[in-house]
Amino acid sequence: MAFHEIKLTVNGGLEQVRIPSNMTLLRMLRESLALTGTKNGCSAGECGACTVLLNGEPVNSCMVLAVECDGAEVVTVEGLAGDQQLDPVQEAIIHSGGVQCGFCTPGVLISSRALLDRNPDPSEEEISEALVGNLCRCTGYIRIIEGVKEAARIQTARS
Amino acid sequence: MEKTNTPKSHSPVGESKPRIDAREKVTGAALYADDIQFGNKLLHARIKRSPYPHARIKKVDLTRARALPGVKAVVSGEDFSGYIGLYLKDRQIFCRERTRYVGDPVAGVAAINPEIAEKALGLIEVEYEVLEPVLNPEFGASPQAPLLHPDLGQYVVASFILPRPGSNISNHFKIRKGDVASAWKKCAAVIERKYRIPHIQHAPLEPHVAIAKVDESGEVTLWDSSQSPFAQRDLIAETLGISQSEMRVIAPLVGGGFGGKAGVSMESLAVAIATKVKGYPVKLLLTREEEFYTAFVRQGLVATFKMGCDKNGRLLAMENTFYWDGGAYTEYGVNITRAAGYSCTGPYEVPNIKADSYCVYTNHPVGGPMRGFGMPEMHAGLEQCIDELALQIGMDAVEFRRRNCLKGGSILPTGGKMHPTGLSECLEKAAEAIDWGKKAPPTAPNKRRGKGLALMWKAPAMPGNAGSSAWIELAEDGMLTLGVGCQDIGQGAFTVAAQMAAAAFGVPYESVRVATPVDTRYSPYEWQTVASRITWSTGNAIINAAHDARQQVLDLVAKAWDETPADLDIVNGMVVSFKSEREIPVKDLAIKGLPKADGKGWMGGPIIGRGNFMPADVTGLDPETGQGEKAVVHYTTGAQAIELEVDLDTGRIDILKGVAAFDVGKAINPDMVKAQMEGGLIQGISSALFECLQLKDGVVQNPSFVDYRIATSADLPKSVQSIIVEVPQDDGPWGARGIGEHSMVPTIPAIANAIYDAIGIRFEGPPFTAEKIYLAMLEAGIVKG
Amino acid sequence: MTTHTHPTLPEFDYIQPKTLAEASQFLAQHPDEARPFLGGTDVFVRMRDGFLTPKFLVDVKNLDGTNDLRFDPQAGLTLGAAVNMNRVIASPDVQEHYPLLAEACRLVASYQLRTRATVVGNICNASPAGDTIGACLALDGVLHVHGTGGLRREPLATFFLGPGKTTLKPGDIVTAVSFPVPPKGCAGAYLKLGRNKLSDLSLVGVTVLGSPDPGLPSRFRFRIVLASVAPVPLVAAQAEAVLAERAVAPESIRQAAQLASEASTPIDDVRASARYRKLMVRNLTEMALTEVWKKLQK
Ligand SMILES: Cc1cc2nc3c(=O)[nH]c(=O)nc-3n(C[C@H](O)[C@H](O)[C@H](O)COP(=O)(O)OP(=O)(O)OC[C@H]3O[C@@H](n4cnc5c(N)ncnc54)[C@H](O)[C@@H]3O)c2cc1C
Ligand code: FES
Ligand code: FES
Repeated sequence: MAFHEIKLTVNGGLEQVRIPSNMTLLRMLRESLALTGTKNGCSAGECGACTVLLNGEPVNSCMVLAVECDGAEVVTVEGLAGDQQLDPVQEAIIHSGGVQCGFCTPGVLISSRALLDRNPDPSEEEISEALVGNLCRCTGYIRIIEGVKEAARIQTARS
Repeated sequence: MEKTNTPKSHSPVGESKPRIDAREKVTGAALYADDIQFGNKLLHARIKRSPYPHARIKKVDLTRARALPGVKAVVSGEDFSGYIGLYLKDRQIFCRERTRYVGDPVAGVAAINPEIAEKALGLIEVEYEVLEPVLNPEFGASPQAPLLHPDLGQYVVASFILPRPGSNISNHFKIRKGDVASAWKKCAAVIERKYRIPHIQHAPLEPHVAIAKVDESGEVTLWDSSQSPFAQRDLIAETLGISQSEMRVIAPLVGGGFGGKAGVSMESLAVAIATKVKGYPVKLLLTREEEFYTAFVRQGLVATFKMGCDKNGRLLAMENTFYWDGGAYTEYGVNITRAAGYSCTGPYEVPNIKADSYCVYTNHPVGGPMRGFGMPEMHAGLEQCIDELALQIGMDAVEFRRRNCLKGGSILPTGGKMHPTGLSECLEKAAEAIDWGKKAPPTAPNKRRGKGLALMWKAPAMPGNAGSSAWIELAEDGMLTLGVGCQDIGQGAFTVAAQMAAAAFGVPYESVRVATPVDTRYSPYEWQTVASRITWSTGNAIINAAHDARQQVLDLVAKAWDETPADLDIVNGMVVSFKSEREIPVKDLAIKGLPKADGKGWMGGPIIGRGNFMPADVTGLDPETGQGEKAVVHYTTGAQAIELEVDLDTGRIDILKGVAAFDVGKAINPDMVKAQMEGGLIQGISSALFECLQLKDGVVQNPSFVDYRIATSADLPKSVQSIIVEVPQDDGPWGARGIGEHSMVPTIPAIANAIYDAIGIRFEGPPFTAEKIYLAMLEAGIVKG
Repeated sequence: MTTHTHPTLPEFDYIQPKTLAEASQFLAQHPDEARPFLGGTDVFVRMRDGFLTPKFLVDVKNLDGTNDLRFDPQAGLTLGAAVNMNRVIASPDVQEHYPLLAEACRLVASYQLRTRATVVGNICNASPAGDTIGACLALDGVLHVHGTGGLRREPLATFFLGPGKTTLKPGDIVTAVSFPVPPKGCAGAYLKLGRNKLSDLSLVGVTVLGSPDPGLPSRFRFRIVLASVAPVPLVAAQAEAVLAERAVAPESIRQAAQLASEASTPIDDVRASARYRKLMVRNLTEMALTEVWKKLQK
């Protein structure tokens, strides 16, 4: 199997990795870069636990080949918070109680971040639509959705 | 009975404190088992599984797999002896003579990467002789069925489980109370119904994962996603023939459990393989598909209910028979059968009872504990029968429940008396919140609207002597470290534990940290994180540990100040005297003690408190009648109400409103109690509308999220209301009882009753898919063909 | 049935050709071993399941023009093969002139999957359940295919041969799908029935596109395409004919819906029974036609 040298930016830092063709972005993050915040719930595009931002847009990282990310910019849950403060989506979901086991949380936060990037004031329906690809077995989503609404408010207040 | 003293409540109890682990969880720092880094010695395991539901293993040839470069170990049933299981030891780590479900482990591989491990599986040759499978529990219980466990009579079994060797019945629980036969004659109405509840899967977002390492001296370390590190230590060590203290289980955060990660299942496979490659950590991570068909499933149930009442709506008799589809191994399922048996009447007082609950071996996936432990399945039919009976005598279903539901002092099906309970209050509040009795018009002409309600009860199902323990240690800064062996599986156990420790000792919530991850080498013993028993049981242990530490502090200060401990208290981390009004921060004495009054030397020393708890008064039940003094420690009760609409064009159901009201005794953390009620309601809705492990000839047809649908963020009710009722539990910490499982118990029947209200149709069982509803409406002439 | 899935993607070599010619040549030289891919959302899943075992995956995303989304008031819309569904949904040109296409894309899976999933991939995958195919057919989509013999056009109407089967030959790469300017005053609807409200595959999907057409007796032309109820995306021609001939009214709409249902040949599977699917073709077609008819009358 062929190996590839790639360079990419992950959470603002430049990374250079050597990976085989069949390595997914998810595995590269978790195994090659030890960024284990991004979770593997199905490896098949179904659960959203592996969601990361690829060039600013959310993707299921289990459905992207690492080799395709040469030159790309990736943001994972570890890259959401600034040095001084949490991202509004992180702060809000703590407050709303939208975290239980936490396994879906990294993906939920990335999807929420992406939603607020494209729509700073989403309706409840827009939020639930943006999150259908992020399965959560614990919370029943109610407090997650409240958290995203609150995050929109925090974001507006901060800016 | 030994009563736990409920301490004076300082602020942290009863307040909605933020989760103790929230920050690490939102930043990606939280560590789950699959996140632990083991370096490049890590080996990856894969399992060769039976493709047949029932077969004899004729030959296993591992030679080609062993020869594949990169493969470090290949094992099969021949390499291990013995049996494993929680209540009934009926499971082998790898199958030896037979396989009993599609997915049964036959051989295992460890290789330097997952690709090679996968390739090696293809090189393992297994010859099978296919045997006739048992695919239905009623047939399985019959004498005609092929015997799946001829050795049932030799298996080690817990005293309260009653297998029937020579049959496929691995537990038969009975209740014989009063005189059912003559009671029917006194009934003004009698109904008889049969329900089938399908298998479903826990589907935690985090698949099962276990990493095992055996060092040169034979000591075993297991890192895994586990609700039961201590039970795993005990059972795996016993099966491997090592002592429990040579087995160490480290259990970091769990990405969802719901019962599926209780007891021992795939973990023993990783450990077994690791024994053959000493020094190497061996990781076994289930694929999502394996998760669906090889991890525990919720057992299927075939239930018949016969119940009757007099003309005033008083329940007079019930005759209930449950056939549980226990699957290939029922080591855990046998106790679900028992729990359903002793709870068989639902939360009602019934004078005459005949109940038979059978756990039956089949060639289906292995049944195990799942949120509710048999109660959602049993209540699914029972609470529909209650509605039907009420209808038959022309009584409102809420009024019927009002009259019959358990109150403090009511006689239980097992004979004893019910403790004080807020069930009636839950009923009234749920009915009020859903506007019971008022019919609202549908939101569109092609919709039918309906309301339904259901009650529930559930006790922690566990051995009578399931224990908990805790320790508390103080640091130089006055912070308190709490050691517990319970697990946070998302329910918030660590947060509530910290709140209780803070309140019982006398420091703010923020001054407590929990010693995690749970590690059987350092953490205090906990039976298992199951049965909604943690807040109650571990909570009592925490109070005892906090009191122990607190007493040490108070005794020390009393001595130093020449006062009596009774005049002292610890408030917000300060020891204060009511008498002298002196005060001293706990941190000033936590480690180094205090100087003696005469200045000659010191007294005290590092403070460490210990506490344990074990229920003391649970009794056995008579094997023939199911009667006894105290079957269980307590029952949590509650109600749910649903309003929904049925779409006449598609059969699709829209939940408009969901109401939950549960008596939790005392909400230690009200927001987290509500979060459990919400999460359980949505999981219940999901199980009612979508979920079914589709089994065809023993093969799971839908082992992925593509075809095993669970509720998404777009499937929520338009509104949800959670109501906390608090009738204290006399031996609960601050009066608390559990709530984790209960919140999904009454959802299926509440929805079924609402569907009936909307379209006048009842179903044999969930899921109430759009297709099922539509075709039934077609048959009933509600829609046109 | 896919109980045994790979824990990871099985091994293969990733190939990134520089030009279309190079890509076609490579694919033609390895007819059974090489596969083109765009978002990979179908290919990867089928590789994990063991249904596909390519030795080479050929990334055709960054080739000449495959990333373009162009609209021209005369020529219509061209969607490069690599244009993902979220880009389609967000495009003001698509929203204005081809809202039906945007609506169909919006009902595919989840937002994050649509960052990768492409309309062209959906078409080439040729699943009867493909949600965007109905819109593409109703809008008279034409594929731009690059093969070893150069570029050619392939109308969608004759493209699908069976589940997963198309007229593409080894070496063929679809570089774009293009659509003429839609008929003036047209209106469309895509109704998808899944088990969940969103994110499921379609048990039944019904695409309807209606437009004024003075040349027809009814003065309206309707296109009706059905998903998940036949081996290929099914154009309900008889139903279309009824609405061309008879005055559009609840009665003729009902008749058309009935004909669509009769034309469908669904199967029983884990998702739904054939019987329910047939009934739903009828109901959803009636609903979609009624909705479109309402829009047309505005
Ligand atoms: C979790 C999940 C949910 C999904 N839900 C939906 C859904 O709701 N509705 C739906 O319609 N689909 C759904 N899909 C399927 C899939 O996402 C879509 O079919 C998608 O449009 C495929 O696009 P792609 O770019 O990812 O295709 P790819 O996987 O890259 O390719 C698809 C097929 O086309 C071939 N191919 C690709 N590019 C070319 C080319 N340029 N020329 C010739 N052949 C080519 C490939 O060899 C392959 O056979 C789902 C998939 C997943 C994993
Ligand atoms: S792990 Fe990628 S979607 Fe589930
Ligand atoms: S919090 Fe457990 S899956 Fe979402």
